[in-house]
Amino acid sequence: MTRLAISGVALATLALLSAGPAGAHHSFAMFDPTKVVVLDGAVKEFSWTNPHVSIRIMVKPKAGGEPELWTVELTSPGNLTRAGWTRTTLKPGDAAEVSIHPLRNGEHGGGFLKLKTASGQIFVGGSPGPQQGVS
Amino acid sequence: MPSRLSLSAVLTVLGVLIQAAPAPAAELLPSTPAPTAKDWASLASLPDWSGTWVPDMRDQGLQETSNPPPWTPSVAAEMRQAEAEEASGAPRGLFINCLPEGMPSWMLISHNAMEILFTPGQVTLLGESDGNRLRRIYTDGRAHPADPDPSFHGHSIGHWEGDTLVVDTVGVLPETFIAISESVGAPNDGDMHIVERIHLAGPGVLHDDLEITAPHALSKTWKTTRVFLRHRLVRDAISEGVCLQGLFAESKDKAGHAVFIPVPQDSGGNVAPKGQ
Repeated sequence: MTRLAISGVALATLALLSAGPAGAHHSFAMFDPTKVVVLDGAVKEFSWTNPHVSIRIMVKPKAGGEPELWTVELTSPGNLTRAGWTRTTLKPGDAAEVSIHPLRNGEHGGGFLKLKTASGQIFVGGSPGPQQGVS
Repeated sequence: MPSRLSLSAVLTVLGVLIQAAPAPAAELLPSTPAPTAKDWASLASLPDWSGTWVPDMRDQGLQETSNPPPWTPSVAAEMRQAEAEEASGAPRGLFINCLPEGMPSWMLISHNAMEILFTPGQVTLLGESDGNRLRRIYTDGRAHPADPDPSFHGHSIGHWEGDTLVVDTVGVLPETFIAISESVGAPNDGDMHIVERIHLAGPGVLHDDLEITAPHALSKTWKTTRVFLRHRLVRDAISEGVCLQGLFAESKDKAGHAVFIPVPQDSGGNVAPKGQ
C-alpha cells in the first residue's frame, strides 16, 4: 500500500467518524443518495460490531495503480441478521462486489447498499417486510 | 410499690417487646402481590403481540414530511436549520453520544426492532441498541408517582380498552428529544405528557397512535402514528445491541486476558484509523 492510499484510508475513516464516536448511531446524511459506486475488490476486514457493522475492502482502481482501501458502513448486526447475514458472511480475502452511496466529500467511504459475493449471492442491508403467511 | 429493680425489669421487658415488633415504616412500603394462576391465565385473552416488531422505515420517512410536529415558532426555526444541515450532508446527529433515544423518539424514529412481553400487571417493551432499551408499562391499576424520578423512558401506566393498550407516560427527562429523524429533533424541555394507543391494525401490523403534549417544544398536541411489522423467524429475535461497543476494540492485556480497549482518539475527538 502506498503512502497515498494510507492517507486516503485515514481521511475516509475520519470522514466516516467525524459525526461522532466510532459507530455511534447517526444520520447517514454524509453519504450522497444520488450516487452509486460499485466497489469490486477483496475484503480486508469485516467488523460485526454494534451499533454499525463495517466492511473494509481493497479496490483496484480501473485506471490502474495500487489498490485503495474503502470503508463501508452498514446497519446493526441485529438488522443484518434479520436480512440473512451472519458474522461469517464475509471474511478477509473474500472477493466481493459492494455497492455504496459514496461520501459526499469524495473520500473513500460510503453507506452500504448491496453485496454480491464471489458465489453470486446477493445481500442487502435492510429488513424485508413481514413474512407472508406467518404473521 | 415496685422496687427500683422491678421497675428496671419491666422497662427491659418492654424494650425487648418494642424491638421485636416490626418497624412501622416497613409495613407502609408498597409491594407487588404474587400473581395467581388466574392472573397468568387472563393473559391468554390479550391480543397476540408475540414475535419481533420492526419499524416500518418507509412509513417513517413519509411521516417526516407529511405530518411534522407542530413546533413552537422558535423551535420551528431551529428545525429548519437542522433540516438544511441534514440536506447539505452535515447532520447534527442527535444520538451520536449513544444515550438512549428515549421517549417518544424510540417509537418515532428508531431503526431497531423490539419485542413486547405480557406478564401479570405489566407490559414490557425490549429493544435493540442503546444497551438499555426498556419500557415498563404498569397495567396493575397503579397511578403515576406524585413526583416521578425523570428518566429517558418516563413512567408509564396502561390499561386495555378491548384489544388496544392505552398508555400514559410522564416523567421523561427534559433533555430527551422529540425527533423526526436521527438528525432533526428538539429536546422536549420538560412537562411532556404522552398518550399512546397501541393496537393491531392488520395481520402482522402494529400501530402506535401517539398524542404528544410538550408545551415547551410544541404549540399544540401532536398526533401521529408509527407502524411496526411483525417478523417470526428465529433469526428475527432482537439481539444485544450495545451502542458504546463501537468505541472499543477487542484486544489482549499483558496477562493474555481478552479485554476491551478504548479506540484511540485523535485530537478532534474522532477515532484514529487503525494502523496509524
